[in-house]
Amino acid sequence: SSGSAVQSRNAILVSHRQKGNPLLKHIRNVKWVFADVVCDYLLGQTSCALYIRFFNCTSPFVVDTYIAGIGDNADKGKSVLLRYHLLHPDYLYFRIRELQKNFKLRVVLCHVDVEDVIKPLHEVTRTALLHDCTLLCAWSLEECGRYLETIKVYENKPADILQGQTDTDYLSRLNHAITSVRSVNKTDVVNLGSSFGSLSRIMDASMEELARCPGIGERKVSSSLESYFTVFINHW
Amino acid sequence: PHPLRHPSPKSSISRNLPTGIPTTDVSSDLPGPLRRHLYSSSRVLFLTPRILIVDLLTRTLPASSPAGLIILNAHLLSETSTEAFIARVFRAANPAAYVRAFTDNAPAMVAGFGKVERVMRCLGIRRLALWPRFQVYVAEELESDPPVVVDVRVPMTRSMRGIQDAVVEVMGACLGEMRKTNKVDVDELTVENGLFKSFDEIVRRQLDPIWHTLGRKTKQLVSDLRNLRKLLDYLIRYDAVTYLRYLDTLRVSEGVRSIWMFTDSSHKIFELAKKRVYRLVHSRWEIGWQQQKNESGANSEMSLNEVLEESPKWRILREILEEIEEERRKKALPAEGGDEVLDVEFENDTVLVACKDERSCMQLEDCLKKGTHQVMQEEWGKYLLSKAELHSLQKQNKKKRRDPKGFGVLNGVVLPMPRENADATSVNKLEHYALLAAALQRRKLDKEMTGNSVELVAPSEKPGKLMGKSKMAKENKTGKANNAKGKKQADKLQASGSESEAHNDESTGEGISASTVTKGFQKYNQEVPASEPVPTKPIPSVHFYALERGYDILDVLRPSIIIVYHPDIAFVREIEVYKSENPSRILKVYFLFYEDSTELQKFEASIRRENGAFESLIRQKSSMMIPNDQDGDCPLIACSEGALTNSSTRKAGGRKEAEKEMQVIVDMREFMSSLPNVLHLKGMRIIPVTLEVGDYVLSPLICIERKSISDLFQSFASGRLYHQVEVMSRYYKIPVLLIEFSQDKSFSFQSASDLGDDVTPTSIISKLSLLVLHFPRLRLVWSRSLHATAEIFSLLKANQDEPDEIKAVRVGVPSDEGIVENDVRAENYNTSAIEFLRRLPGVTDTNYRGLMDGCESLSELALLPVEMLAELMGSKNAARTLRDFLDAKCPAML
Repeated sequence: SSGSAVQSRNAILVSHRQKGNPLLKHIRNVKWVFADVVCDYLLGQTSCALYIRFFNCTSPFVVDTYIAGIGDNADKGKSVLLRYHLLHPDYLYFRIRELQKNFKLRVVLCHVDVEDVIKPLHEVTRTALLHDCTLLCAWSLEECGRYLETIKVYENKPADILQGQTDTDYLSRLNHAITSVRSVNKTDVVNLGSSFGSLSRIMDASMEELARCPGIGERKVSSSLESYFTVFINHW
Repeated sequence: PHPLRHPSPKSSISRNLPTGIPTTDVSSDLPGPLRRHLYSSSRVLFLTPRILIVDLLTRTLPASSPAGLIILNAHLLSETSTEAFIARVFRAANPAAYVRAFTDNAPAMVAGFGKVERVMRCLGIRRLALWPRFQVYVAEELESDPPVVVDVRVPMTRSMRGIQDAVVEVMGACLGEMRKTNKVDVDELTVENGLFKSFDEIVRRQLDPIWHTLGRKTKQLVSDLRNLRKLLDYLIRYDAVTYLRYLDTLRVSEGVRSIWMFTDSSHKIFELAKKRVYRLVHSRWEIGWQQQKNESGANSEMSLNEVLEESPKWRILREILEEIEEERRKKALPAEGGDEVLDVEFENDTVLVACKDERSCMQLEDCLKKGTHQVMQEEWGKYLLSKAELHSLQKQNKKKRRDPKGFGVLNGVVLPMPRENADATSVNKLEHYALLAAALQRRKLDKEMTGNSVELVAPSEKPGKLMGKSKMAKENKTGKANNAKGKKQADKLQASGSESEAHNDESTGEGISASTVTKGFQKYNQEVPASEPVPTKPIPSVHFYALERGYDILDVLRPSIIIVYHPDIAFVREIEVYKSENPSRILKVYFLFYEDSTELQKFEASIRRENGAFESLIRQKSSMMIPNDQDGDCPLIACSEGALTNSSTRKAGGRKEAEKEMQVIVDMREFMSSLPNVLHLKGMRIIPVTLEVGDYVLSPLICIERKSISDLFQSFASGRLYHQVEVMSRYYKIPVLLIEFSQDKSFSFQSASDLGDDVTPTSIISKLSLLVLHFPRLRLVWSRSLHATAEIFSLLKANQDEPDEIKAVRVGVPSDEGIVENDVRAENYNTSAIEFLRRLPGVTDTNYRGLMDGCESLSELALLPVEMLAELMGSKNAARTLRDFLDAKCPAML
């Protein structure tokens, strides 16, 4: 069983409660195994997830009852789940409390199936926020699966992709900078680049020069460009 | 004071006010006390909504003091706009004051369901006055003494016509595809609608809610249609070379994805556009491009003939101007003899030429000053040079690595269009070399000319030129067939083309300052045998005006002759009003239309739209349900059971006495958005301040960074979000990232099918996952809409203490900076410019402030030497990175 312990470190441990959840089919990029865990998905040493799902009515439901052998039959599942939730309106709260303080990152993964979920989503939002859980919303089983996979895969990943190191080639960086100007698109960037030769020339261009550039001639574009270049302090 | 909204028409407003009423612009440059002082004086004040609402909320402007509120551009309003917020606050404190809203854009008032009614309701306005052009009094007034109108129909050249037809055809095909998707109301999908910008809105309004379910193709169609409309528009506004250049860049930036580019018609567009500029011919002449010969192999007998087709309207414009001048002289003659002084005023008058955009203005001005031929030559020169630059760049790239993958879609340029077969490829290559050769020659020529030798002799090896010339003349002649005006002169003029610049007309005033250049060209062109110098006729002084500038040029310039170069319905209305306000003035208006063009079609359609809009407004007015409030002039507001009570809430403290008033601290910059308005509607007290950390502070513990979906993607990409979350987590116990979806768009990021099979670092899911892994204390809040956000805020605020304004303002501010009381600067950072700055390589969260302190603007930054940068940024490496990026040669992607 020590072998399986090593194996389970690289895998998502899935609670038996989740048996039959169609979501499991969509965890493909990492291994997962059933295990006795308090949370629904144990994603790493310090992170875990609870899974809840909204169906086409006004309350959030839980997939706890997959264990009851409902399996993939979604229709049947729904009715059971509905009843279950009505019996346990504080389900999420109880589940969170059960987790105690054992995890640094506690995710509530909320599967939003339908549009009309505003009220129950607010409920869930509030519960998660007040009980130190991070709420992630997903709109399909695929997306749910991907969140679980990603959190597992990125367990030890540094944050550098979040720190603005985007593509390093000149053009994407140029695009990245210039398209921060509203109403400037990529065609405009190409036009600006080929008309002025370098970014410093573009930034130093007068309104008139900008307006001469094909496609930039629209006043909306040239004047907004100009206002970007001429002041750091605005006059609104 | 009467605060007004929009700055643009204010000059005409101030002019029409009775004298003695002082008017003042209130900008946020003015420090608080000065604004306060202005507000208490009795004058007309012009304000932007953003400054007005902040001053109302901070009570810098007591809501009870203004006599009334006039709002311009009412068609831009909605329930959630700041103006509605202002009107609500204002009315509540000041029920006796008036609120008026104006718009001159009838079609915009019927876009969307019940728009007028909704706008009226949100401003609490009960009466609607409509003054359509066809209303009896309006018509009488305007038609009693109408201006003389000359409608000039200019035929397009055959190539222009060909391009137009092809674009319309492609457009039709795209619309057909769109129809097949069954996603958009079929009635709206006509080419005529497609000519208008509002078409995008129509389509987007229908597609937005299901945007995530659409396939890539449908999305592409939407953007293709937009590009096609631009192509039609630019066909009329741009010269042939610029048009080709635009097409080239479009092919580069859109080529791979776009659907229409691979149709036969689009092939035709590109071919014709090219034909307007140059032609490839087989030639036996030896032309100095030996280097290329070696590269290209045996077959270098292709040469390039310039065509450089000029815009037909250019010539017509000049003819009209000449005619005007001639008429004036004739009239002036008898006046000299006799003592009739009737038309003296008329004589010195400037002719107003109205174009759509600045670019056309500048180019037409050049055409009159330098001659159309030279203008074309200059554009052509630019075009060739950028081709040459690209070539040298590609060579470098090839040396560096075989597969320059960094440029992504740009590879498309180098490669021929996939549809073309091998044969065409070699032709393409030849064409490429021919262009390069021409570019080389051009560069040589330029060098010699800038070498200041006035006596320069033009390079003799340019036989290709000749053919180009004669072709140009021919083509223009065919296009001229049924031109209404002054045909004979035109021929001569055209033949001389290049010479027109030699004889400068006294009236343009500007002597030929660029004499060396001009002369160089003149000499150079004298080789063309056909061109005999023909004296150009004098033209009157001309004022060019771009319609998009949007100020009341007519009242300022007071012209008696107007040439509408790009006809526009709004400007026509302005002219009518101007004429009827100045009944004694003789006014002659020329309209220049391309015959059988989409320009004409669009103009006619816009008249129909205007009428249709008014008719529909009249119908709506007759069936309008206006709540008849007992307050008479202060009907409040449907969305608003809250609104009414809320306004009293702000004073008395609670709609039910038991309920405590909730307070939210809001960053100044957030007043660009509608959320403060909606929060206020919910009964919260809004405290505007400048926050260094976060956008909203709900309690001493809860701080919120709010991101719309597009903001979210953008600030993830820039790294800004990471930084924001980092500081928020440092200073607040419950840092919250609020992800706000838009009500009319779908509530989801992407469709399951867009997800892909693997975990990829670029996906939004990956970024969010990584973010929560690094900031496990960060709380995410997912909001369906603005209104949902307001709901969530009040939920989150329950059982929390109220936030502390003074503490919130100090959070995250470096302690040595301190807080300056009433620091107006702090409110006014040009956040977009700063965003731009922060996206530059080398610029980081720690050094961008230094840069901003060291220079006033991005354009100043562009000129700073690397040593200065190093000083400001505190790092030589960072400075080097930034400087290198700024100076890097942009690939000219033609």
